[in-house]
Amino acid sequence: MVQPKHHVIIGSGITGTQAAITLRERDPKSRITIITMSTLLFYNRYDLPDVFRGRTDWQSFLVYPPSFYEELNIKLRRGSRVVNVDSTRKEITLGHKETIRYDTLLVSSGGRGYLPEELVDFRSLMHNFATFEAAMNVKKILPENGKVIMLGGDMLGLDLARNLIQCGYTVTVITGEHTFWPHTVEGNERKTFMKALESMKVETFDGDKAEGIASIEEGKKGKPARKIIFKDDTVLEGDVVMPFFGLAPAVEFMIGSDADIERGLLVNPELRTTNEHIFAAGDVCQIWDKKDKSYKFFYGWKNVRAMGEVAAKNMTGDNTAFVTTQDEKLRLDKKGQINSPFWEYD
Amino acid sequence: MAKATTKATTNDNVKSRSSDAGTPDSPNIITDQGDETIHYSDDPRDIGWVRENVPCQASCPADTNIPGYIRMIMEERHGRSYEINRDANVLPGVLGRICSRPCEDSCRHGWPGNGEPVGICNLKRAAADHKHTSHRISESLYTPTGKKIAIVGAGPAGVAAAHDLSILGHDVTIFEREEKPGGMLQFGIPEFRLPRDILDLELHNALRLGVELKTGVNIGSGMGDTRVSGLLRDFDAVLLATGCMAATPLPLKNSKKGDDPSRDFRDVEYGLDFLLELHRGEKKRVGRRVAVVGAGFTALDCARMARRLGAEEVTIHLRTAEEYIPVSKEEIFETKREGVRIKGLRTPVGIVADKMGRLTGVEFAQNRLGGWRANGRRQAIPIDGSEFVEPCDTLIIAIGQITVNDFIDVKVDLDRWSNVAIGDNGMTSVKGLFAAGDYVSGASTAIEAIGHGHEIALNLDGWLMGGVRRKQVVQVEKVDKPLRDRAFDFIERQHMPTANLDERFKSLEVEAETGMDHDLAKEEAKRCYLCDHKYSIDVDGCIYCRACIEVAPRNCIKLVQGVEINENGTYGELEEASEWNKVGAIWIDNNQCIRCGACFMVCPTRCISITRNQLVTRDL
Repeated sequence: MVQPKHHVIIGSGITGTQAAITLRERDPKSRITIITMSTLLFYNRYDLPDVFRGRTDWQSFLVYPPSFYEELNIKLRRGSRVVNVDSTRKEITLGHKETIRYDTLLVSSGGRGYLPEELVDFRSLMHNFATFEAAMNVKKILPENGKVIMLGGDMLGLDLARNLIQCGYTVTVITGEHTFWPHTVEGNERKTFMKALESMKVETFDGDKAEGIASIEEGKKGKPARKIIFKDDTVLEGDVVMPFFGLAPAVEFMIGSDADIERGLLVNPELRTTNEHIFAAGDVCQIWDKKDKSYKFFYGWKNVRAMGEVAAKNMTGDNTAFVTTQDEKLRLDKKGQINSPFWEYD
Repeated sequence: MAKATTKATTNDNVKSRSSDAGTPDSPNIITDQGDETIHYSDDPRDIGWVRENVPCQASCPADTNIPGYIRMIMEERHGRSYEINRDANVLPGVLGRICSRPCEDSCRHGWPGNGEPVGICNLKRAAADHKHTSHRISESLYTPTGKKIAIVGAGPAGVAAAHDLSILGHDVTIFEREEKPGGMLQFGIPEFRLPRDILDLELHNALRLGVELKTGVNIGSGMGDTRVSGLLRDFDAVLLATGCMAATPLPLKNSKKGDDPSRDFRDVEYGLDFLLELHRGEKKRVGRRVAVVGAGFTALDCARMARRLGAEEVTIHLRTAEEYIPVSKEEIFETKREGVRIKGLRTPVGIVADKMGRLTGVEFAQNRLGGWRANGRRQAIPIDGSEFVEPCDTLIIAIGQITVNDFIDVKVDLDRWSNVAIGDNGMTSVKGLFAAGDYVSGASTAIEAIGHGHEIALNLDGWLMGGVRRKQVVQVEKVDKPLRDRAFDFIERQHMPTANLDERFKSLEVEAETGMDHDLAKEEAKRCYLCDHKYSIDVDGCIYCRACIEVAPRNCIKLVQGVEINENGTYGELEEASEWNKVGAIWIDNNQCIRCGACFMVCPTRCISITRNQLVTRDL
């Protein structure tokens, strides 16, 4: 008797979840396992700013209830960290030494917030906003009407900024080359969008003009909890410092797996890596662009969900190429406010 | 490794092969008088065991006893740790800063599922940093032989060979072109990675046992040059260790042999020349936007130096990707931290200049990754029609270095790469003329050069004295109990403290890495599995209670039917038994074993023994 295939998916975000759904549709008898570091079932990280509006019950964030996974016979391994992929043995090793065999593997581990190397020493004084737990932590420590200093100001950060402002907080963005990431905005266009930020009541501070950050320190008693000191001796104070410098692919466990890596996992338009049994999709992969003759990242909800679907099709014998349908341009809406396709989701 | 030609299938066979070197009937045992717990063995099985089971030492080109020196740090005996290092490598404080760390790539702690490798190199430095200020160096001096040896080049290979040959009793003279010894260590590595006081002190210690150092001497065939033929006449042997002192030219599209972009364009320079001239005392300048092409330590050094010289935007352009370059992760991190960008998958194909001949950019072709090359590096394949330009106003080319042979006035056979060809003992086609280090192998690393210098010195001594005088054997020592706690396995890798960025950029000399303090070093030392410890089960004493299997944190204790024996006498694959009646022995798979000691502690019959197995050099 032919054994059902075991499809393993690393990552339970929109890419991995969409892939699992498509895999189940196309291969009803297969075993499907999703491995995720998250302790929660799939939730939409775009919804996380809602914690500042009082939505603090984790269950309300879940996109699908637990029964959904049961009905589709998808095994979800939560709180599990993949430390190694052995492509020769088609085996994954988890942090607690357990090994899991696969027939086909989809890596959709996404990206984690990139922190520029020169700021790594100050990591312990910053707060991220990547998970529900992290969001709740920021909510807990941020005083009412408190002030957030946002470093970098990528589109994930600016989405949070506009939400925080609507909830009565103050946000100062230390601008630099990562502001508006993943959009590339230069020259006069950049000036226009910076003005739009101000109209959205986002305060901005030109970090490059202040020669960059010299250090981040704890604030004195009775003062805001954090102090940013710039190289030109300017000092900014805030209750929370949050880095938003774009995403860096989470691929460290793939080193030595036989799948090529540059920054992300390198895949062809069909999302195959250089190992025939390993696919990659979402923020973790760089896709070969025949026209531009280069490997490119494609971000945004629509893109990464489509990638999950394409990967699942190709894992089950199809040969579909991923084609982006998302408009990449940053724009202003009728009210002159910034609007990004990166913020769109359903 | 060759697979088994023999298979042990009985209890007796298994027992005899696990009996260590301590069995009294073994013909290869040398027992030290008065110390029954230590034995010396030249049995290939014992030597093979160390080679297989101590992967860090096996991958160290200088054969450094790494578990030995790390254990000394655990015991806070930093001086002894330094001396163990110095047995293999005369410049521990130097290599503790700039080694390429092949040992860490093979460290068992870094194997899948075991976490991160031990910070072996950082610990080497810690031993050097924390030894007593009046530390007493040990040297085993031999009676003078009256033989005279000339060494050309005072780089790492030349210095290592000079040290070893001088303690073996020979009169050694080094001829060095530069005004100071050290070669690439002195002139090719920036001070922010290698402070010169450390280098000079260790060079002095290496050479002070009677080595005569003649600097500023040009060996060649020109006017006033000292000739190799003359050295061969005046000395009993000559060792060439001149390294790779010419830059590899950058091949560009439409370029012809002999074309040199550094000559044709202003603001284009080779990384080797950039660093050499800087360290000879010349004032160097770079533009605002610097491009560096290359993927090795020199490329990173040039980029970091450019930042210190005032460049605002510095980018290293790689043919492959960060994952595949032969530089440690820490070095890449520190480079990025200093504001250097690294961009991958691009091959430089042209240089773009304005009408005045000023550099305005570099033209690259987009690459895709190819297969693996024989040297373990990835191939990069440029894609037709994918060219693009990256603007810059200074280009530093650091794609490698090559040897130069035009200084030799005697005819020497070369290999296909135009490096000098040597026989097994390091002698060239000219009698009495030996060669070592990068001059033989092409551009490599400091530790490879030192290891090769060390090896060739022993061979040269053997040639001069009519036979080898020293031999490597295994020192087998009984260990009473495990030296590690199980808790040590959960210690995270301790990171090297570094100077803050403002401090680093104050001058070219400020060392970026500041060194581990006692406590940090000790904590990191605890992480070492001490792979030189061999756990064995005496099957005659074993009651097969399985207690050891129950407590084993990994699949390291196995019921086996037989064990394959490799051609060299070492153990091969274990043939695990699936049924009780086929069990020939209970066996500790030292390859899986992380030396946690849990099995030893739980064994009710004390049939598990521990020995420490170290390679040592003994007089014949």
